[in-house]
Amino acid sequence: MNVIEKLEILADAAKYDVACTSSGVQRAGKAGQLGAATQAGCCHSFTPDGRCVTLLKVLMTNVCVYDCCYCVNRASNAEAPRAAFTPRELADLTIGFYRRNYIEGLFLSSGVAGCPDRTTELMIAALRILREEYGFRGYIHTKAIPGTSVELIDELGRLSDRLSVNLELPSRQSLGLLAPNKSRASILAPMRHICDSIADDAESRSLAKKRTTVYLTKKNARKARAFAPAGQSTQMIVGATPESDYQILNLSAALYTHLSLKRVFFSAYLPVVADPLLPATDAVQLNREHRLYQADWLLRFYGFNVSEIIDEDNPFLAPDVDPKANWALNHLDFFPVEVNSAPLEALLRVPGIGVRGAKLICRARRQSTLGEAELRKLGIAYKRARYFITMNGAWGGSGIDFSREALHARLSAPIDGGRHGRRADRAPAGQMSLFETVEAPPVLPETSPDAATAREVAFAAQRRALETTGTADGRQAIATEAASATERSIADGRKTLDSPLLSVA
Amino acid sequence: MEHIPNASAEDAPATPSPPPDIYDEVAYAYDGSLEGLLSAVFAAYERHEHPTDIAPEERLQLRLGQRVSLIPTDQDRALRVMGTLRRQCGRAAALAVTRAACSDEPGAGTAVYRFVRYAIDEQKHRACEHCRKRASCAGRGGMGPCPKQRGRAFSDITHPAVERLFRISRSVGQECEHMRQFVRFQHLAGEGADVWFARVNPKASVVPLIMDHFVERLGVQPFIIYDEVHHLAGVYDGGDWQLVNTEGAGDLERALPDRTADEALMSEAWRTFYKSVSIDARYHPELRRQFMPKRFWKNLTELQESPAALRPRYAERG
Repeated sequence: MNVIEKLEILADAAKYDVACTSSGVQRAGKAGQLGAATQAGCCHSFTPDGRCVTLLKVLMTNVCVYDCCYCVNRASNAEAPRAAFTPRELADLTIGFYRRNYIEGLFLSSGVAGCPDRTTELMIAALRILREEYGFRGYIHTKAIPGTSVELIDELGRLSDRLSVNLELPSRQSLGLLAPNKSRASILAPMRHICDSIADDAESRSLAKKRTTVYLTKKNARKARAFAPAGQSTQMIVGATPESDYQILNLSAALYTHLSLKRVFFSAYLPVVADPLLPATDAVQLNREHRLYQADWLLRFYGFNVSEIIDEDNPFLAPDVDPKANWALNHLDFFPVEVNSAPLEALLRVPGIGVRGAKLICRARRQSTLGEAELRKLGIAYKRARYFITMNGAWGGSGIDFSREALHARLSAPIDGGRHGRRADRAPAGQMSLFETVEAPPVLPETSPDAATAREVAFAAQRRALETTGTADGRQAIATEAASATERSIADGRKTLDSPLLSVA
Repeated sequence: MEHIPNASAEDAPATPSPPPDIYDEVAYAYDGSLEGLLSAVFAAYERHEHPTDIAPEERLQLRLGQRVSLIPTDQDRALRVMGTLRRQCGRAAALAVTRAACSDEPGAGTAVYRFVRYAIDEQKHRACEHCRKRASCAGRGGMGPCPKQRGRAFSDITHPAVERLFRISRSVGQECEHMRQFVRFQHLAGEGADVWFARVNPKASVVPLIMDHFVERLGVQPFIIYDEVHHLAGVYDGGDWQLVNTEGAGDLERALPDRTADEALMSEAWRTFYKSVSIDARYHPELRRQFMPKRFWKNLTELQESPAALRPRYAERG
């Protein structure tokens, strides 16, 4: 098997990892060495599904002893062709791609070949060739495998820019059910260790920079590489199990505060292998994933608290308006906001004004009074923002009823008259068109009754399985919890919240 | 025709001569470089003129009754303008001017001139008497730039003079980012020559703005970034980089050596990788086109049907 065939198999196996970012670390180039990294990262290509390719995203090997139901590389999936890179092959491929400006660096993940430690050693060998032999200064993102020993994770962290451990599923029960070889403890332990190591490393570095004490050290002592300077991230699958958005967002907020994660990625569940415990539907919940990311951005950049975005009574995000507009509609007493005097935090709450727009407003209003024309020049989405702002006392939405219903109708109107977004979704099935050929494969809309039924069936099977395995293993606590969860509908899935990974603190 | 004005002058002083400030319109033409543009700005101050248009010589479109003045490029004058701009209006403004000078938009030169006039004038409208720092200020009494005012002119984005420059500079900045993303090098070697070659087709002449980025990260390999739209090549030889104007030099491509064997393998591997990372269930070509506009596709390795499509084009010309 040559390198290209291996690459085809191992890139195909890695494509369900959603994280593909090269941001978070600024490293200047060095004479005689290849590579540099920029804070914002750089996307080098975009696949036909519109996702970016910034790193060479491959598995070290897709041989795996674990049997996670949702994974294409599960041990019991006999059809999947298996391959493995040698460390040298992988390093050469990375360098070859980097020199041609195809990629920003390497995203290395792996199936578990034998045991986690053995696999991690292989990954370390590849990274050592890259960093030490080739002096590569580009970006490296590595997946740490749950169950790897602490020493190896330390070594991995020194060679990588970002480390991540996949959370896989948003609750402990689902994890126990669908990923029997992984447990909450085996995932959270390395995450906590990485978090502590990053904090320790940052602290010792900042102390060393202050030069409060002078030591007679050897000159030109080789500097130790920073431990994962771009932080750690994680990802979880959304839609394979009945957890609500409320649980997912609370979990990610807890991860941001307690484990100082840089990113939490969501991956809409996609059936790749058939399993009675999994929803067998092609309707990917892309809209739900999109709303979750919007909420995630509100948490990280807009100063929102998770309790403001979602509450127990409405455990799912509104599908027709984005979470920020939803907050605004529920807090009309906060509005209108005067753009010429409101603080940045208040501007960030206005639908249609983003972080960039809010900063531009603050910059421009130092010199001139802002009205409609000026706001449009700044690139504010005036069409959305107008109902929530006053410009020098004049309300932008005159002629419109300032009520929840009227504003909701305006904010949930289809963008660009419905001409926005995927063309395949816009053309009704069976309608012939002379000019617009739809090249996309037909995909079931995620709200279709078929998809909903498929999910119901799978979730019911999961609940039943949870009951039986729970009692059989003697895990009484989980079983009783699951039994009580059976009565509730999916929409009201709040009680299961007490048990999942939420208690990371 | 000669006698008519004389005759009318004798008969009656009826037709008054038109006021010069309305009808005496002047346009400055420069050579298209940043230095040329800044020299033109200098000339406007020097001659006490207000040119209605400043544009590169080949793109200048004269208005009715407009006279044109060709401005010679002067390195020292350009440096003086740039230095003043940086001192008085800050680095952000200087960077915006540099970027706008690379733009292909017809009004870019004029936008830079209007901005410089506006920004330098703004510096004069300041009141030092109530300033708390006037005792220690380097620019007190109008002798130098006021540090408090430095970033002020450029941050008034809603002012027409600033807005136009801001918009042009931002679009050039975006084109730079596109280049950082979509430049694809090919390894060419033969007869002692060994070079990494990339062909690009940007909307603005951004090669001088992106060379530093590539020298920083790919400093270990000599490379050429060839802009086929503006006939400009950025050449890095392992030590320093230069710009080479290839206008009329059609034989440049012939001089390039052949692709290496490794190159064929790597581009094949990259195209395989690109095909296999896409998820069919999420197919969304409109989104891809939004991030990666189609005008770049002809120079992207991963979007070619066969690797032969990316061979240097002289091959098919014969």
